[in-house]
Amino acid sequence: MTGVENPRAAAAYVSPAAIVSLAIAAVPLLFILFTSLGGSSFSLEAFKDLLSSALFRRSLLTTIEISVSASLISLALGYIVALHLARQSPRRRAIYMVLVLLPFWTSILVKSYAFTVILGREGLINSLLSWALGVHVALPMILNRFGVMVGMTNYLTPFIVFPVLASLLAIDPAIYRAADIMSARPPRIFFTITLPLSLPGVVAGLSSVVVMSLGFFIIPALLGGRQDMMLANLVDFYTRETLDWNMAAAIGVMLLIMVILLSAPALWMRRNQLVGRR
Amino acid sequence: MSEGNNKSGAFRLSRRRLLGRLGGAAALSLAAPLVLRRGRAEAASKNLVFVTWGGTYRSSVEEGLIKPFMAETGINVTVIDTPDLAKVKAQVTTGNVEWDIFDAPGALGTAGSKAGYWEPLSASLFDASDLSIPATKDLVPFYTFAGGIAYDPKRYPDGKYPKDFAEYFDANAFPGRRTFRNRPSETLEAALLADGVPPSKIYPLDVDRAFNALDRIKPSVAKWVDSTPQTITLLQTNEVDFSYSYASRVRTTAATGAGMAFSFAQTLNGLEYLAVLKNAPNKDSALKFVSYALQPARQAAVMELLGNTPNSKKAISMLSPATRKWLPDMTSDQNLIMDEWWWSDNFEKLSRRFKEWELS
Repeated sequence: MTGVENPRAAAAYVSPAAIVSLAIAAVPLLFILFTSLGGSSFSLEAFKDLLSSALFRRSLLTTIEISVSASLISLALGYIVALHLARQSPRRRAIYMVLVLLPFWTSILVKSYAFTVILGREGLINSLLSWALGVHVALPMILNRFGVMVGMTNYLTPFIVFPVLASLLAIDPAIYRAADIMSARPPRIFFTITLPLSLPGVVAGLSSVVVMSLGFFIIPALLGGRQDMMLANLVDFYTRETLDWNMAAAIGVMLLIMVILLSAPALWMRRNQLVGRR
Repeated sequence: MSEGNNKSGAFRLSRRRLLGRLGGAAALSLAAPLVLRRGRAEAASKNLVFVTWGGTYRSSVEEGLIKPFMAETGINVTVIDTPDLAKVKAQVTTGNVEWDIFDAPGALGTAGSKAGYWEPLSASLFDASDLSIPATKDLVPFYTFAGGIAYDPKRYPDGKYPKDFAEYFDANAFPGRRTFRNRPSETLEAALLADGVPPSKIYPLDVDRAFNALDRIKPSVAKWVDSTPQTITLLQTNEVDFSYSYASRVRTTAATGAGMAFSFAQTLNGLEYLAVLKNAPNKDSALKFVSYALQPARQAAVMELLGNTPNSKKAISMLSPATRKWLPDMTSDQNLIMDEWWWSDNFEKLSRRFKEWELS
């Protein structure tokens, strides 16, 4: 790696980006924090209301449940795809990467409607099964948690594939050769070389995917059932329908705290890596 | 930044020049509001910003209302998509009002009125004898839209589909998967109508009775719909058998040849208002526009395309028979007009209860 080792030089490179993100992200965030605390008349009322609200607690649990499970499924699928991509010739890899990116470029709204056509009671899968089995099959695959999982995994998988692929490609081929010479079997190679060395990509991908899924809104609304209510839907409710920005901001702050807690392991890992390199 | 500036930058871009230019851009963008505001003040009477809904709704309003208005008055109207009350709040509370006229569904109209976001509308703007539903101090009803039961007539011919809410709530006589809106307004009214409360005695809502009626139908509800188009698509894909949707939406879908019909035996009629934002930059033109929008000929022209019920009585007879076929009979005692003022007092509290009820 030809990274900058001198922290002072690093700061010079980072500062333009830092200034821009401070200006466009930090200021509104501070305003949200300010609003959540009741604006100019300071109070913790909104937070007290939230914590005592059964609706908030249920949505919070649902949000965590959906985010974590969708992220883990995406990790499992994305890792396999990344592993496969890493083994291709550069030219083939480029083609496969476009295939990964195609759904990634498609509007989430369009994809949600497409899933209705594929997974619906009279959709492609059920029709195919009915035809193959000779009986009428109508597996409920949308308007429930399953539908949410399919929609979210489809959206999130590319965000796992790319960081993991970057980690996999960074592994020195000489290590594999050495392992081969020592006649290590493939499972051994995977668990002692590939997996540990790809962990930075896994952590980066996983944390960004969890953070993203905490804010999901359209997919649960279109593909979910009545119990799949996420916090983003509540924020929308307070922002646009009841104009209670105090409450909306308080939920936003709670989500932000969760995001910060979640990105801690990624930061910690990165630090360890840098320290390890010195 | 002007385009010429960008082009010359593309030829020779030293770092110093780039930095200088970025600085210039920053200064420009800081100064922009001042410049824009001065420009707007000069052209105040010749410009208007109208916030309305997108898609075919927008083209219908442009065709039937905005183009004739621009031709007659010479005032240019800029159309912006999606009336968002949160943005109105942001504009009015920061004193930075950019929109003039707001196309407000009932609940948003009354909520904005309570918060004081609208300019008063003087009675002289409208012909009071012609309006089916009178204007209030700061809101004028633009039209009413009919919500009710949509079905596929090929799968469910007469007698097989629920024609009113009592039947929509009767899952034994009319088995099948259904939809409702994912909100208490409309849904609680439908529940009380189903439970036998006559439309004239619906308000104030007997909330406990409504939730009891909803308990009965809950197992047959496949989807509590958030986005309006889904009330149609779920029916089209046979995901549900009957759907709570809107006559104008069903009409547009049926026109494409899809098998879809709407029961006019009982409807819930919501109001759509027009409002002028408080301290709108082009207030006088805005008031003129709102008055113009309620004239019978304009009402007829827009509703012919939109398929909703005009608020002008004279406009109704100007509509084509094909369009009138898709309007509810507002003289029928089975049809309900929603009371958005009641909702503006109760919406938040009942939304919480409704969502908690859904989760249980």
